[in-house]
Amino acid sequence: MIPKLTFAAFVAFWSAILTLTTLWAVSPAVIADADVTQRAIPLAELEQHATLDDCWMAVEGNVYDLTDYVPQHPTPPAVLAPWCGREATEGMRTKGYGRDHSPGAWAMLDGYLIGSLE
Amino acid sequence: MSATRSEIHTAVWILALLPALVAAAMLGRADLASPGAVLNFLGRLTGIGGLSLMLVAAVLSCRVPGFDKPFGGLTKLWRTHHRLAAAAFVLLLAHPLLLAFAAAEVRLDIAFDTLFPQWQRWALWLGWASLLLLMVFLAPSFKFFGEPHYQRWKHLHRLAAPAVILALAHSLYLARTLPWPLDAIIWLGLAALAVAAIGYRFVYGRTLGRRRYRVRQVSRPANNVVELSLTSDGKPLRYDAGQFVYLTPFDPTLQAGRGEEHPYTLSSAPGEPELRIAIKDLGDASRAIQHITPGSEVAVEGPYGAFFPTAEAAAPELWIAGGIGITPFLARARQLAHSGAAADAVLIFCVQDEARALFFDELQQLAEGNSGLRLHMHYFYQHGPLDLEFLHQACPDAAARTVYACGPEPLLNAVHHLARRVGIPHSRIVTEEFNLL
Repeated sequence: MIPKLTFAAFVAFWSAILTLTTLWAVSPAVIADADVTQRAIPLAELEQHATLDDCWMAVEGNVYDLTDYVPQHPTPPAVLAPWCGREATEGMRTKGYGRDHSPGAWAMLDGYLIGSLE
Repeated sequence: MSATRSEIHTAVWILALLPALVAAAMLGRADLASPGAVLNFLGRLTGIGGLSLMLVAAVLSCRVPGFDKPFGGLTKLWRTHHRLAAAAFVLLLAHPLLLAFAAAEVRLDIAFDTLFPQWQRWALWLGWASLLLLMVFLAPSFKFFGEPHYQRWKHLHRLAAPAVILALAHSLYLARTLPWPLDAIIWLGLAALAVAAIGYRFVYGRTLGRRRYRVRQVSRPANNVVELSLTSDGKPLRYDAGQFVYLTPFDPTLQAGRGEEHPYTLSSAPGEPELRIAIKDLGDASRAIQHITPGSEVAVEGPYGAFFPTAEAAAPELWIAGGIGITPFLARARQLAHSGAAADAVLIFCVQDEARALFFDELQQLAEGNSGLRLHMHYFYQHGPLDLEFLHQACPDAAARTVYACGPEPLLNAVHHLARRVGIPHSRIVTEEFNLL
């Protein structure tokens, strides 16, 4: 029973890894929307969106409206609150204790882009 | 007794699953925000569950004589170790996949990057290294590629130590589900237990835990079986009938197995001045030991196992032995002869033919000298497989007895089958399988 179960899991694992790798290899590369003209947002405007109910952040020159994302963030919203309405690259890069967010988190950020910081 | 045993095994599972249960209690709204968030949460949960199961399995790998008794003997303890490890393995295989599937919600290349990140995210590669080591050393344990070679399996199994250390480092660096300092307390606590267990096993167990004996005599009850009589100047080993030890021979003339430990059942009665161990030629090491030099040194580690109940109650028993599986019953019958204690046991001894009836003369004498012990020989060439008819003839009141069986797997399967048909509950069937011990 145990040998069969573990062997099945072992084969299923490598099958899944192989499938994911194959899909990744054949799927078209993601091209950044560099041409999209971004609205220039002045710092003063950014600073007006500094609450959890209306939370914009500037990260590496871009401005994101993260209001809808706040409830989904793994840590309690209070951790995000101080970063709303300001330049938050440090928060993204260090999580407050020296560790960068995962590439997944960075990729998610793209979905909330609203402009670039003036 | 059996209820207590199963309670202890259940307690081990609860301890092993506790970190995952605590983590599951941390489930927040954000973890249910999207299918990806749910998969991500499950991915972290399987990582936590897998690691704690692995650590508790490591704790159970210690071999402290006596520690195994509440578990019903080392073989039962080992079975729980084996099951914990299997559950850990399946969870740890699911762990990276679930996290990758979760990341696929954002983009496929992010899912790929979760599995195969850049080198800067080295902590993830520690996880990979641990998982690959697990696959390497567990493949023979779970017989992925057939029956493993005993010594090679033992050596390979040592990779468990680096696998656990890498997994711990991976987890301590990346963990974010359990709140600080709870995560550190859980992981370091379990790790400390595991280190203590492995330290005992490989440091104390290999030095002070081993007793030196000398082979005084080698007798030959059959052409492929020897019974070694061992003497020691040190303190005598205290053990119960039916227990086993790990024996390491140091005879320099041995063709195989020199310096290797193997488990063997003691055939002597507790209290005898010498230890006796009957060994059948079943593999390289046990074949070589047939020619061990009298006077050579051996090391004995143990005793382990809990085959017979320790209390000297005269509850009716049915003993079923196959071949060299006679050793625990021989020890018990010798013990009864020494102590003169009352007994009510029927012994069915199954062997191919008369030439393979190990210790037959002695068993017959022991049965004649003890009115509470009856011996029935079952010869396969004459009676065929052990069946209900033979059982009824030899032991008409089998249903009222506790069954103790020792022998090759097909015989044990037959015993379980017959016992079920006779109406003996599972809790009154005692077997000890020496699978990868």
